[in-house]
Amino acid sequence: MPAARVAKRSGAPRFEEHFLKAFSNADGPSGWEAPVRELIVGAVRDNVDRLEVDAMGNLVARIEPSGGRSRRGAPHVMLCAHMDEVGFMVTAVEKDGRLRFRKVGGIDPRILLGQVFRVGQNGARGVVGVLPAHLLTNNDMNKVIPIEELFLDIGAASREEALQAISIGDLVAFDTTYESAGRVRKGKAFDDRVGCAVLASLVQKRPPVPVTAVWTVQEEIGTRGAAAAARRVAPDLAIVLEGTASGESPGVSPEEQQPRMGGGPTITIQDRSLMADARLIDLLEKTAKRRKIPTQWKRPGVGGTDAGRIALSGAGVPAAVVSVACRYIHAPAAYLDIRDPQRVVELVWHALESLRKEWP
Amino acid sequence: MKLRPGSLDALLKTLVPAYGPPGRETGVRAALRTVLRGVGRTREDALGNLHLHIPGSGPRLLLVAAMDAPGVIVTRVESGGTARIDLLGGRGAAEAIGSTVLFADGERALVAYDRPASGKEVGALDSSSLYLATGYDKTAASKRFPVGSVGMLEARLDRLGDQWRASSLDNRAGAAAVAAAVLRSGKIPYDLHVIFTAQSELGSRGAMTGAFGVEPEMAVVVELAHVGEAKDQSPVTLGEGPCIGLKEHGYIAHPQALEMARKAAKAARVPIQYLVREEGSSDAGAVRRAGPGVPTVLIAIPARKTGGPDSLVHARDLERTVDLVVRLLATPPAPKPVPRARTPRRGGK
Repeated sequence: MPAARVAKRSGAPRFEEHFLKAFSNADGPSGWEAPVRELIVGAVRDNVDRLEVDAMGNLVARIEPSGGRSRRGAPHVMLCAHMDEVGFMVTAVEKDGRLRFRKVGGIDPRILLGQVFRVGQNGARGVVGVLPAHLLTNNDMNKVIPIEELFLDIGAASREEALQAISIGDLVAFDTTYESAGRVRKGKAFDDRVGCAVLASLVQKRPPVPVTAVWTVQEEIGTRGAAAAARRVAPDLAIVLEGTASGESPGVSPEEQQPRMGGGPTITIQDRSLMADARLIDLLEKTAKRRKIPTQWKRPGVGGTDAGRIALSGAGVPAAVVSVACRYIHAPAAYLDIRDPQRVVELVWHALESLRKEWP
Repeated sequence: MKLRPGSLDALLKTLVPAYGPPGRETGVRAALRTVLRGVGRTREDALGNLHLHIPGSGPRLLLVAAMDAPGVIVTRVESGGTARIDLLGGRGAAEAIGSTVLFADGERALVAYDRPASGKEVGALDSSSLYLATGYDKTAASKRFPVGSVGMLEARLDRLGDQWRASSLDNRAGAAAVAAAVLRSGKIPYDLHVIFTAQSELGSRGAMTGAFGVEPEMAVVVELAHVGEAKDQSPVTLGEGPCIGLKEHGYIAHPQALEMARKAAKAARVPIQYLVREEGSSDAGAVRRAGPGVPTVLIAIPARKTGGPDSLVHARDLERTVDLVVRLLATPPAPKPVPRARTPRRGGK
């Protein structure tokens, strides 16, 4: 069934795929989220009541509920997605013009060799150098080269030439373009541009409860933006929208292949940062059942998100996480099933409707 | 036999077995509400802390005891009907082996383990080697222990000689001592807030937000401190009285608060010991750092580990801890040598 028809019947907003495409193609490693933020501003500006960028760089939008502010007892909900992505930073330039670089956020060093990257604001292209076969020893062939020993080559012949194109401190992003094939979408930074796009889609319509939508910065380097945002927003409860790692993979036992891409919204019960609020999980589960939205559980005990930080802010905030399960996150190109973000939009929307009626 | 209110025996019997793994402290919260009925106003906050407020005209004093107990969470159900788990708090995988896990709906399962390859010690296992023997086949196990099910290591209270034994004594013994002290106290010259904290096993999460919300001018944290194992150089002994915490990971005593605790111990004729430990921590650090900072006393009940999940606590230490807390609650606030910086009261709707 086409997503648009489901959306019309249920009253939930439609997931706007063009947001995902635009946000995914933009670069925003942690600390340098402005390009992504500008796109989100453009996407939501006309539909929110107040829009501001705080001192950390978080984008904060306030939307009053349909029917006006005076809804008695309706909780103030913070919806949150992070704008930053994992990437790298240029730390030094060698005499011969090659760049040394370090990780920004968690990246598996095994994926780096031979990758193409975009460096700095002018989008200079660079490739992670590989030793030619005639210089490679057998021993080196079988080991993972630590990032300190790798270099990024932007084709500059000298340090001076390199510094004309880039600066030390420039951030580095995967050079990947969004594409579709059937239900699958390919792109970089689906963690968490899919959350950003879900949230931007959700605010296209006036929500049933007062909502503060926050697109945060610096999640990948310690959920720093969320810490500041949560203190300022001081919500009654929070739902964090994420792109998370799926488990399906050949050679893995069926029990471990959870969650699955295309399996519907993934709900977190517990991770390293959060013990999700039991009432919120209950609400999401019941809403999903009533609306016949398939859901799945994230594997407990792994990962951490902005929700952990928000939950511990001030005198405490009930928090939950709803994610789109993606293959190959924190890597050059991730996959997702385009039905999943639509289902997350519906699940969260209808959960907000239930919250209007009931939140103890 | 009818026990008087504030009897430690009765409190331990109620609180020790109560269901309450980290983040799912439903049973122990209900038990505490029952025990404390009529003492003051109780409420539950966003993280699951149970607050008790006994209004008074003096400065805001916060009394804290963690109430959660070590637990597990199901991460996947396997084809044979067994379930893989992660630990929520507690002392590590090896100590959990052989424990019965109690779930909120009353289901039980047994913590078993994959025997390590020869040469590897059981003590070096991590939670990936643990599983729950459920007694069901895959279909039934998936239904009864779905991914995300949270259970608590079942706690049974035993009296061995002069000592209490149970797996949840850390920190149900502290919670019982605090409840007993509140029940036994007369008029208190403070605006007293008591928080039985949630999620302490996950890194003092409840204490962090709870203390922030109360904005106390002083705090007393009652915890358990494991002492006396072979490797530990701590001179602390079971049966010799409660410890006053001087330093632990994330906490260092506040001079005036420490002095107040020493004086209260003397006045109550309670022998004390001092706790200095490099590893291990309590809610005291989180409370100490809450908001603009809180002068905090740490009172630690000495306990011994047993190799399994159980702890041993000397009954006399527990009684003396109650005496000390009662006396602290009755001690009028000392005049402040240096006025505290005035901060506008935060939040509030």
